[in-house]
Amino acid sequence: MMQAIEKGKNGLSPIWILAAMVLFVSLPLVLPLSWLSLLTEILILALAACALNLMLGYAGMVSFGPAGLYAVGAYTTALILVNTKLPFWLALAAGPVFAGIVAIVIGWFCVRLTHVYFALLTLAFSQIIHTIIFGWYAFTKGDDGIVGIPIPILLRSIPSYYYFTLSVLAVSVAIMWMIVNSPFGKTLQALRENPERTEFIGINVRRYQLAVFVLSGFFLGLAGSVFCGFSKSVFPAYAYWVKSAEMLVVCLLGGIHNFLGPIVGSLVYIYLDEIITDFTHYWPLILGLVIIALLLFLPGGIAGAIAEKLSVRGKNTMKAQRYDSR
Amino acid sequence: MTIQGLIIQLLSGISTGMVIFLIAVGLSLIFGTLKILNLAHGALFMLGAYLCYWISSELAEIGGSFWLALLIAPLIVALFGGMVEFLLLRRIYNREPLDQYLLTFALILVIGDIIKLLWGVDFHMVPVPGPLSGPLIFKGLIFPRYNLFLILCGPIVFVGLWGLMRYTKLGKVIRAVTYSRDMANALGTNVPMVYTVVFMLGCWFAGLGGTLIAPLTSAMPGMDMVILIECFIIVVIGGLGSLSGAFLGAIIFGLVNAFGIIVLPRLAIAFAFILMIVVLIIRPWGLMGKPE
Repeated sequence: MMQAIEKGKNGLSPIWILAAMVLFVSLPLVLPLSWLSLLTEILILALAACALNLMLGYAGMVSFGPAGLYAVGAYTTALILVNTKLPFWLALAAGPVFAGIVAIVIGWFCVRLTHVYFALLTLAFSQIIHTIIFGWYAFTKGDDGIVGIPIPILLRSIPSYYYFTLSVLAVSVAIMWMIVNSPFGKTLQALRENPERTEFIGINVRRYQLAVFVLSGFFLGLAGSVFCGFSKSVFPAYAYWVKSAEMLVVCLLGGIHNFLGPIVGSLVYIYLDEIITDFTHYWPLILGLVIIALLLFLPGGIAGAIAEKLSVRGKNTMKAQRYDSR
Repeated sequence: MTIQGLIIQLLSGISTGMVIFLIAVGLSLIFGTLKILNLAHGALFMLGAYLCYWISSELAEIGGSFWLALLIAPLIVALFGGMVEFLLLRRIYNREPLDQYLLTFALILVIGDIIKLLWGVDFHMVPVPGPLSGPLIFKGLIFPRYNLFLILCGPIVFVGLWGLMRYTKLGKVIRAVTYSRDMANALGTNVPMVYTVVFMLGCWFAGLGGTLIAPLTSAMPGMDMVILIECFIIVVIGGLGSLSGAFLGAIIFGLVNAFGIIVLPRLAIAFAFILMIVVLIIRPWGLMGKPE
């Protein structure tokens, strides 16, 4: 148990972080614009998946509805930019804040339930958000979506928006890293491993779950807001369950018990999507088969498998052993 | 609204509810025994609808091709389900729920694309079988005969399944495994076999629902997810794993939907979601379910 909780500080020495930073900062110099745009998309999906993974991987709460809060962020930013003269950064900040507020309301209900009921309630709330966006035509333009959202000239070029997204992701990931390695984060992991025992040692389980629900919602909203600026348009599909499923798959693909898993997952997911749709229309079929193969043969996800290979001291193999021993 | 209009709305609500009941009861049965939330249930339902189209159009020159489809299509879906259980699900029963969700989610993608490969992305109409086509006119009420037939199917399946669970050897074994898997196993029940049978039975219901709905809405891509969400609502309201709960939930859902459409056409489904949320908060185990 202690090992399971201690893991998390896996192979993230400052040298690697620096190398990754240099790599990501210098990529616009070598990559063509279309790839850079794809990379921006990857970074935004990575941010959303990391936010979801706070709940999924660290607190063990399986949500079927992360897309709901993602869409709240996106639509908040979009509606402010279209309807008011407020500056871009304020509209961008309003997205996650409002998503966080909505998460307080939804989370207050959801943390009362566990397991499959928790998952279904999160799904129900996200579908309600979708229905509201879809049906409230006068305010949200329904399934026409909102297009042509004005963003500052400074951010209009692809490289500049890439750098903007990269910095948002870097700061957010750093904050999330601090959160999961704080006493609060450790408590969440204890809660994932055994909620009953955690409650017995005097932890208010629901309060912690609500806190991580709201944090996760905040960052999901941020991802939505940043994506709204990237695509300059928003659609009800952002709140649809398909988007939620996409985020879950990205987390799984990378590995939910690894901090960097969702980022790796996002990279692999969008890259696969891009190359596979080039030669076949049956991307869902391939994706489905990849997920099945992954579940059967690589239960820790890609990042999990890499971490296992890298760790000589066997620090990170705890999770894999847990799978095997059952 | 006139009294006739009210009755028509009532009947149409119940007939929608009854079709979804057939599908939801399979989902609930599987969850009750296998403790797996089968996200691919809607996809299996869609497979049933396409098979119904395929069989009834291939055999169109023979009379009663729809009834043949009704016999064969659910069986094919059940066999397919049995294969899935035997080859895939079996390997992940002991894993975390997330893995089960993702595996069955992957099946949605795979089944959806297989259907696309076989039958394309067009809508496929299935003609309403002869004796059930056209409306029934009774004291100024006009109502499609086929929908009345669907209203009959629900209770027949309900009573049939109830009898199966209550009075047959198979039903007893299923109940024993549901009650305590380990104890049943210790007493010599072949639990993996029971799991396969229950999964196949659940899939048979999904296939049956698909076959029956094909003449009503035709077979089309995307129908799987719509029905899955509706099934969730029904089983949550009634209680996951409860047979009578699914029946009650289906009627409530059908009525809320039928009358919700009159009040707020574009937001009708929201009423059902709100009902689901209320039930989940007040009685998470559903109206007819038992607390864990």
